[in-house]
Amino acid sequence: MLSGRGFKNIYNMSGGIRDWNKEIAVGPQDLGLHLFSGSESAEETIIIGFGLEEGLREFYLDMAAQVDSPEAKNLFAKLADIEIHHQEHLLKLYRESTGKNVSLEDFRSEKVQPSMEGGLTTQQYLQLYNPDLGSELDILSLALSIEAQALDLYLRAADRDTDQSSRAVLQQIANEERAHMARLAELIDTL
Amino acid sequence: MKWKQFFTPVSNITGEEAKQLVADKGADNVVYLDVRQPKEYENAHLPGSRLIPMGELDRRLDELDPDSHIIVY
Repeated sequence: MLSGRGFKNIYNMSGGIRDWNKEIAVGPQDLGLHLFSGSESAEETIIIGFGLEEGLREFYLDMAAQVDSPEAKNLFAKLADIEIHHQEHLLKLYRESTGKNVSLEDFRSEKVQPSMEGGLTTQQYLQLYNPDLGSELDILSLALSIEAQALDLYLRAADRDTDQSSRAVLQQIANEERAHMARLAELIDTL
Repeated sequence: MKWKQFFTPVSNITGEEAKQLVADKGADNVVYLDVRQPKEYENAHLPGSRLIPMGELDRRLDELDPDSHIIVY
């Protein structure tokens, strides 16, 4: 989020406060918490956003299966469902902005999946980030950081979008991501 | 679904490297930014760190100096 807003000297402290006194970093050198920044076209933004929503949904379904707390389980299941609505918004936006009446299946297989090749699976990503899956605080903090990336993507896309209706859709999705973050933050405060 | 495209390289540093950065740049030019929740901050935080919870960060960026070195945890 910071790197996309003109901040140049940003460092992610590996392992956070827990590793303050350790000399060994956790995680690879090139994996950070920032989205790629700013030069994507509207079409690319929609495709990336759709992939992000798909990844978020997988992540939440995984987490719902892994946490013990009924409240957290319920929250993750709800968050997973909301990502489907975001995907529907984005597909509609894609159709309107490109004039291509593509089906959901074709959009997913021909546009989104090719753009995701070479990346990490959700499980691989989790292994790299290495959250303690027995710790709800770790899981919720990771979810919060991923939502922050989604929010960042949509806010920057909305800033660049000169079309009023697509801009409104992106801002609406951004606001929903912000609401997700508030819910997650509330849940963290109850731990 | 794959995640790689959502991340760009950012400097990852260890706690020891963070301390060295403070020594090299001077404490006035380096900010420790704590993006956790206030309750976590109250439980334990790095001395002198600034608290801006992740959920508020996008609306509070103007509280940070873009020219300073910011260590996020």
